[in-house]
Amino acid sequence: MPRSRARRRAASALRLIAALVFAGGLYTAFAPAISAQDAPLSPAAMEGKALFDTSCISCHGMNGQGIEGRGPSLIGVGGASVEFQVSTGRMPLGSQGAQALEKPPVFNEEQTRQLAQYVQELGGGPQLPEGNDLHSGGDIAAGGQIFRLNCSSCHAFGGGGGALSSGKFAPRISDTDDRVIWAAMLSGPQNMPVFGDNQLTPDQKRDVIAYIQETLKDRDPGGFNLGRLGPTTEGLAVFVVGITALIFTALWIAGKS
Amino acid sequence: MTVQTTGGNGNGHGSSVPEEIDYDDPRTTRFEKVKAAARQDGVDIVHYEPQFPERGSRLEKRMSRNVSFMFLLVGLFSTAFIVLYIVWPWRYKQGDVMMKYYTPLLGITLGLALLFLAFAILTWGKKLLPKEVSIQDRHDGGAPEGDRRAVGQTLAYMVEELGVKRRPLLGLAAAAGLAPVAAVVAAPLIGGLIKNPHADNQMFVTGWAPIKEPDGSTRLVRLTRDDGTPIRPADVSAGGQMTVFPGIPEGATNVHADSPTLLIHLRPDDAAVSRANNVKGTGHDKFDRGDFMYGDYIAYSKICTHAGCPASLYEQQTNRLLCPCHQSQFLITDNAKPVFGPASRSLPQLPLDVDDEGYFVARSDYQATVGPDFWERP
Repeated sequence: MPRSRARRRAASALRLIAALVFAGGLYTAFAPAISAQDAPLSPAAMEGKALFDTSCISCHGMNGQGIEGRGPSLIGVGGASVEFQVSTGRMPLGSQGAQALEKPPVFNEEQTRQLAQYVQELGGGPQLPEGNDLHSGGDIAAGGQIFRLNCSSCHAFGGGGGALSSGKFAPRISDTDDRVIWAAMLSGPQNMPVFGDNQLTPDQKRDVIAYIQETLKDRDPGGFNLGRLGPTTEGLAVFVVGITALIFTALWIAGKS
Repeated sequence: MTVQTTGGNGNGHGSSVPEEIDYDDPRTTRFEKVKAAARQDGVDIVHYEPQFPERGSRLEKRMSRNVSFMFLLVGLFSTAFIVLYIVWPWRYKQGDVMMKYYTPLLGITLGLALLFLAFAILTWGKKLLPKEVSIQDRHDGGAPEGDRRAVGQTLAYMVEELGVKRRPLLGLAAAAGLAPVAAVVAAPLIGGLIKNPHADNQMFVTGWAPIKEPDGSTRLVRLTRDDGTPIRPADVSAGGQMTVFPGIPEGATNVHADSPTLLIHLRPDDAAVSRANNVKGTGHDKFDRGDFMYGDYIAYSKICTHAGCPASLYEQQTNRLLCPCHQSQFLITDNAKPVFGPASRSLPQLPLDVDDEGYFVARSDYQATVGPDFWERP
């Protein structure tokens, strides 16, 4: 009996060891997969992280998770959003206000892409296609149709922008790069609605940008476009200016004679 | 120049009795005749001075040359206008710059022609015509008693000669003929009181009303894009919006101009708030809309309840819909109730669902009336 007891003990010890080895083996087998999230960042993202740690971290937090009352989380916003906000100078934010304003960008194009790469690898999200020319070959007429249905209500028919609520506004889009327009549609910066690739396919986005860039080439004979709002505005302006001039001319003539 | 002065005697005519003048008398000059004729009208030419005492002086010649030159310019620019009007390319062609100057060029040439015409006439009048000062009596207020009586008698005479009193038939016929003319003006107003203009319900039914099939079943209307393609929930990203039209023939045209709708994909937190507020209802539209949303998707009429503009400026962070015409704002997360501006009524909400094939459908028509208010709106 004592012997069998010893055997039992030895057997259970063996089972324990076997279980431990199995568990340890499982861990070693699966742990690398789990820790893949901590996989080393790409070189560009490393550069981006360095920039992030000096310029963005105070509002968006250590890992881009956001800080309550200061800045939103960047998890899932994607590289497109970063490119839009940083390349137009809206980020880093100058001061809290109704909305972030466009200003001279703090980072150059390469740094912007590095930041975008870092945020992309941090939490994923929509990304911009390659290249700076995102309008060639777009169908301008189709783009105009899409623009009038989706964009013109805020950005106005001539792309001059317009007012929103409480001091916010839709900016002028008439001197905007292809990538910025694409990023705006894809990420829906600030109060702009998102136009994901399911709603406006990449081809349609290309059409819209082609339309916007093409209307920019339209010159304004006469010099002032008056928001490109059309004959009503122009008629009103001519009427007000013209009548005023006529009144003063009449006064001048009456005063002379 | 004519100066008006107040007449002393108030009889409305010149102060002195004008002497008669013989227009055939060769001894009087034309100026004297004109002066005498003016005096008969109560106008005294008290000062006359030619611009150029010496006829044909160099100054005069130069001035007349200037005026002539301006007239020639008028002719030049008018001709240019006509030539441009005929030959300048005006048809739109992409990349063509010439065509864009068509209208400005017409305006510039015609404008310059008229401008030089005005200057020519003004210069002629001010620099070449003689300087004259004339004095004319101004009448005092109130016509003389005799004149007033004369006018009264004339009017009475006219009425009498029309003969309505003597020929009553004429008056009656005129009245009978003119009364229907007044009725023509009043017809649309009174007609609406007699026959109900909303009898076929067109103010209360939109393109979203479920379709009755011939076999008696009803089919729900799909939400479609402007090209008629149906929409899956995945087509609108969170924080996105899409203008949708009823998936029926001519659904995206003016035939169903009251049907355009905004389909909005809210973020989960905002969707939860919206759903809670949907249950509560708002304002005078206090009925339960608890099942109107589909997931995080919500749909409101795009037609502003103030003046019918497209209230489609969607702010995805503040969850407001703005109307560009009069700055009304609607809070999406609270039944699209108006929070700013002149609109007084919430945007109607479209009850959403997804059919067997995974496309959005409207579960019923709008429960509230779409668009601006009108008298008969319940």
